[in-house]
Amino acid sequence: MDASIRDKVAVIGVGCTKFGDLVDQSLADLMVEAATAACSDAGVGLDELDAAWLGTFSPGMNGGKATITLADALRFHGRPITRVENYCATGTDAFRNAVMAVASGQVRMALVLGAEKLKDRPVRGLQREGIDPFLEYGTTAPGMFALAANRYMNTYGVKRESLAKVAVKNHAAGALNPKAHFQMKVTEEQVLKAPLIAYPFGLFDCCPTTDGAAAAIICSAETARALGKPLITVKGMGLAVRTGKPFLDPTCDYVGFPATQEAAAQAYKAAGIKDPAGEISFAEVHDCFTWTEITNYEDLGFCKLGEGAKFVAEGHSALGGKLPVNPSGGLKSFGHPVGATGVRMVYEIVTQLREQAGPRQVRNARLGLAHNLGGPGAVSCVLLLGRDT
Amino acid sequence: MIGITAFSAAIPAYRVARDTIAAAWESRSLGGRLAAHRFDEDSLTLAASAAQDCLATLPGGSAGGLYFATTTAPFLERLNAGLIAAILDLPPDARTADFGNSLRAGLFALGAATDAVAAGRSDNILVAAADTRAAAAGGDEEQNYGDAAAAIAIGKDHVLAEIVTRGGVSDDFLETVRRDRDPYVTSFASKFTTDRGYARSMAAAIRKNLQNAQLEPVQISKLVLSSPDKGAHLALAKKLGFQPAQVQDTAWEQIGVTGTPMPLLLLAAALESAKPGDYLLLAGHGDGAGAMILRATEALAKYRPRVTFAAQLAAGIEFRSYAKWRKSCDYLREQGETLEISNIFYAKEESQNVRLRGVECGHCGTRQLQHQRLCPKCSKSDAIKEVPLARTGVVFTFSVDQLFPSPFPPTATAVVDLEGGGRIFCEVVDCAPDTVRIGLPVELTIRRLKEGGGLHHYYWKCRPKRF
Repeated sequence: MDASIRDKVAVIGVGCTKFGDLVDQSLADLMVEAATAACSDAGVGLDELDAAWLGTFSPGMNGGKATITLADALRFHGRPITRVENYCATGTDAFRNAVMAVASGQVRMALVLGAEKLKDRPVRGLQREGIDPFLEYGTTAPGMFALAANRYMNTYGVKRESLAKVAVKNHAAGALNPKAHFQMKVTEEQVLKAPLIAYPFGLFDCCPTTDGAAAAIICSAETARALGKPLITVKGMGLAVRTGKPFLDPTCDYVGFPATQEAAAQAYKAAGIKDPAGEISFAEVHDCFTWTEITNYEDLGFCKLGEGAKFVAEGHSALGGKLPVNPSGGLKSFGHPVGATGVRMVYEIVTQLREQAGPRQVRNARLGLAHNLGGPGAVSCVLLLGRDT
Repeated sequence: MIGITAFSAAIPAYRVARDTIAAAWESRSLGGRLAAHRFDEDSLTLAASAAQDCLATLPGGSAGGLYFATTTAPFLERLNAGLIAAILDLPPDARTADFGNSLRAGLFALGAATDAVAAGRSDNILVAAADTRAAAAGGDEEQNYGDAAAAIAIGKDHVLAEIVTRGGVSDDFLETVRRDRDPYVTSFASKFTTDRGYARSMAAAIRKNLQNAQLEPVQISKLVLSSPDKGAHLALAKKLGFQPAQVQDTAWEQIGVTGTPMPLLLLAAALESAKPGDYLLLAGHGDGAGAMILRATEALAKYRPRVTFAAQLAAGIEFRSYAKWRKSCDYLREQGETLEISNIFYAKEESQNVRLRGVECGHCGTRQLQHQRLCPKCSKSDAIKEVPLARTGVVFTFSVDQLFPSPFPPTATAVVDLEGGGRIFCEVVDCAPDTVRIGLPVELTIRRLKEGGGLHHYYWKCRPKRF
């Protein structure tokens, strides 16, 4: 890649619904709420947007599968809409694609919308997929990540107590966030004593299934300057795909997620970052399970391989730590409506960079990282957004 | 010389105590336990398990045919033996046939295999017999019927026990009956039935064989008899002039009356302790009776089954409640028929998912189960060839999942690295989920995975390695 994306595209508006069991609202209701909030934040009308990217995961005609879901909800007719689906990296990848279109000059101003209604379906958790007879029959997301967690914990001698610290930290942050799915603190003892879901994960080690939507309005940096907006720009982006079937691939060692390492390397290169732990102010990372956050620290270069548990235990990733991670509450506490999550991270980063995060505000927030991890480590997307003044 | 060239028993890992059944009905317990299939086992999976163990001890590791005998075949139209042959990865020209409809079907299959070998049609034929007969809840036979399988290979080289004589009698007498519309067996069990049915036919078949072989009861080292209940075979043996010590224990106390596999299973048990030169007389009942006399050869002294009958008899995980046992019996039958099936997909995936053949890269030697066109290690595509994968391996990582659909959560799942290469993801069965750990040696076992689209679906699971 020759030309860096750095400083070319700005985020001028963000919006986010309350996340949770939104049983009284439809997917269209959530889309309208998030998009309207982002437009109002940017001070632009929906009719001023040239194109839209919809990030949504769940299949089904009314589950957001098609672009018409956004077109009809927002009466966004006669313009390009692209649906992006890339496992749990759906939201960040939708944003990434929109950024590239704006950077190319083909699109002046774009809407990125991530939305998901996980609660309106007859199945618990995520729909099963028919790739492999066993997978199709009954494997679950906690079960799949547990495979990796058990291998990691066996390799580095990490115990469930370390995982619990992530839940305690992210619930503490979520308790400060009025839009979070769960706004309550938990103790390490509560986490450890909760019913087991898939060993080593207990109930509080797992993110919830959540409804929600988030939106961002992006345009070129010049356009943002011309509109007199505070300049928050994309500094770097990366996306990497690895096997979706590590459980059948004899070359996978199940320690660390190479997709995250590779996506981060791309983003750091674009942003000119040499020392991630020293240069990044805070991060919103993919804590679908508590253990995932620990391995994310390592894969994103916040600490060395095998030292993730120490990183959280020493408080480095807490609000007020040297590199706060998931000040929003994370997937763990804020919730995880799959396609919405990545865009929700952009919402949080922009809110923090503008110093509008209230009690959960990270001090001196200048450069924020968003990270999604999809499948059992199959897809990862990393975004870097920074404040220029 | 034609005779038995390998044998194996397959007793399911689970047991239900007769006390547990009696307690549920406030009835009298007959004592002891029954071998009980797990919800994912049926006559086909048990037979495949026995046949796989049997095959492993055959010189050359392959057989020219597979005959399956059962009264509880999972498919009424579709060759069950054909599916077992594919599970065993036998070649397409392997002789396959199903034998059924009588508790004597296992002996019919043994006879047919012997004839085929004698006629020079095949060098080695595997006979696998199994049953999972369901008794009506609360009925008289509920404390009687247990589940099991056995496999016996018939061939002309490396014979362990030569077939000296064989022959039987047919009798359309009403003992046990099941119509096409019945889920359970109708049993006419009574003293009259035992005398007029079981004992009369068995005695005729046994006398005929003794006469043909010109042997006296005293010359028989082991009398191996099927039995409809706890003690009918003992009374029969006594009447025919045999001593109690000559009679093979039927394991009624430990596993119950197992139906079609019973004579083959007990023959396998008897062969485990037989000595070269011993005469064994085998007789099985069902719509008459069949019998054969065998003589153990010198080769038997050196033979050892992969997993012995004795070891399996001693093991056992108990269903602690009657409700759990019945739920295990009925679980898959009660699953909805929602699945849609493509036979195109099934045909394409048979080699990988049923035959358990993987691919190997000719450049770097990496093996994997998925038939990918590019090597996962060196990414080359020009030297990928299909290979059979080992059916044993080691747990690389695992999970114990509470949400996995099962009648008895949690479910242990594992990524298993197979011996010699290749990796599979499957459930771990026949052990307590919390005993699964990284490094656990396991063996693969075919199980019923789900129902739907007019099919029972089978896939691989694994269990702690028993050999």
